Amino acid sequence: MNIIEITKLSHMFSNGTLALDNIDFKAKRGEFIVIAGCNGSGKTTLLRHLNGLLFPTGGNVIVDGVNVSEDPVRARRIVGMVFQDSDTQIIGETVREDVAFGPENLALYREEIEQRVDEALRVTGLTCLADARPHMLSGGEKRRLAIAGVLAMKPEILAFDEPFSNLDYPGTLQVLKQIIGLHKMGRTIIITTHDLEKVIAHADRLIIMKSGRIAKEGSPERILPDTEMFGIKEPCFSRMGLGMISWLN
Amino acid sequence: MAELTSFSYHPGLSLIHKIDARFKLFFIAAISVSSLNSSLLGISMLFMPVFCGFIIVRISFLEIIKDLYILLIFLIIVFAVRAFSTDGVVLYEGLVEGSVVSLRIILIALLGMLFTSTTRTADVKAAIDWILKPFPFNFKSRISTMTGLMMRFIPIIMEQARETSTAQKARCIENRKNPIYRTARFSIPLLGKIFNNADRISMAMEARCYSDIRTGLKLSSKINDWIALSVIVSICIISVLYL
Repeated sequence: MNIIEITKLSHMFSNGTLALDNIDFKAKRGEFIVIAGCNGSGKTTLLRHLNGLLFPTGGNVIVDGVNVSEDPVRARRIVGMVFQDSDTQIIGETVREDVAFGPENLALYREEIEQRVDEALRVTGLTCLADARPHMLSGGEKRRLAIAGVLAMKPEILAFDEPFSNLDYPGTLQVLKQIIGLHKMGRTIIITTHDLEKVIAHADRLIIMKSGRIAKEGSPERILPDTEMFGIKEPCFSRMGLGMISWLN
Repeated sequence: MAELTSFSYHPGLSLIHKIDARFKLFFIAAISVSSLNSSLLGISMLFMPVFCGFIIVRISFLEIIKDLYILLIFLIIVFAVRAFSTDGVVLYEGLVEGSVVSLRIILIALLGMLFTSTTRTADVKAAIDWILKPFPFNFKSRISTMTGLMMRFIPIIMEQARETSTAQKARCIENRKNPIYRTARFSIPLLGKIFNNADRISMAMEARCYSDIRTGLKLSSKINDWIALSVIVSICIISVLYL
């Protein structure tokens, strides 16, 4: 069953730039999708339509059977978004307080909030940092905190905008493990990136975007050899014909 | 990794951290108002609880001076102007008057610093919500959120200012002697960064379903709050009436 259905989605910014042009896209429940493209290809704009941070100027975005424009708050509960810059996503003074921000916004009872916070901290391995100050964390820990903050809202879909940007090698591994773990738990994962090497081995589907359009779509094995035509570096393992190799191996 | 300034919240379990935010706000108001009616000796006495607070929280005085050095430079100017523009015996009354004004400003800055370093944004928001409860207008929750967020992001703005300044020093801004040129070159990119960040933060808050209807923090006063209240009120009365 499709959890996301996008039909003829277009988005034009107020300055006249056409950021998305007639996008058709469907995602099945539990699917792992990577959306790749150069800077300015429309990846982030597309992602922001999934939870009503942006609204279409044409077409429809339907999440779990309901049009996002009709009920954006519902869409935000279903689609948890992890932004590229973790610093601006962190609101709380302590790690625990930041994770509690989302459930507090859902007006849940305090006991349930505490329960969800504990669970999200456990899943992301941040329990021992619960009372730490978020801005003193390392890049990887901050990204995991951003994930914990979203997980505490119990979303079905997790949308990551460039989750590996500005991370060192250990930080990238931490975040990658987290994402794969969440996918194994049954969540639908959508990742935008221009760096396929780190994540593509785990994806079910690869979508290439160019100038606000879907330029190519299909299984990663089939699409990878053509990525450089769209300004995206082909992973080394694909170039050397070694099959899919995970960064975790 | 971000650098911690004295204006940042310092997580901890000290006595000052545990005091109810409503009481802390009252202490700031009481000490500030008392300082307006106190002599030099009285203001010196009002510094006592503030210094004790910093010792309990374990923020070093060196760190405080480092963070307040621009204010201290400004205060030296205020002190000099006051000292030499007051009627009477210049080298006595002028110095006393200059000291009173300067100490008053330092006292209020230190109070603010102690408050921000020991009070979480959520507590500030809850305290302001409580204070605004009797008022009839509808946007109370918005005022408390804005105040909380403002406190939360002051250290980040200061950090951005520091980064901008360092980046400009690296490109020899100090060779330009015109202060207007330097101020413009510093403030335009800094304001740009601040507004961009504000945009991203509001989008991130929206993505996490932020609205006025949310589970708030419940504040409750304890015996320590009332003991602290009686100590502060006593100090204020003594400094205004007896010194």
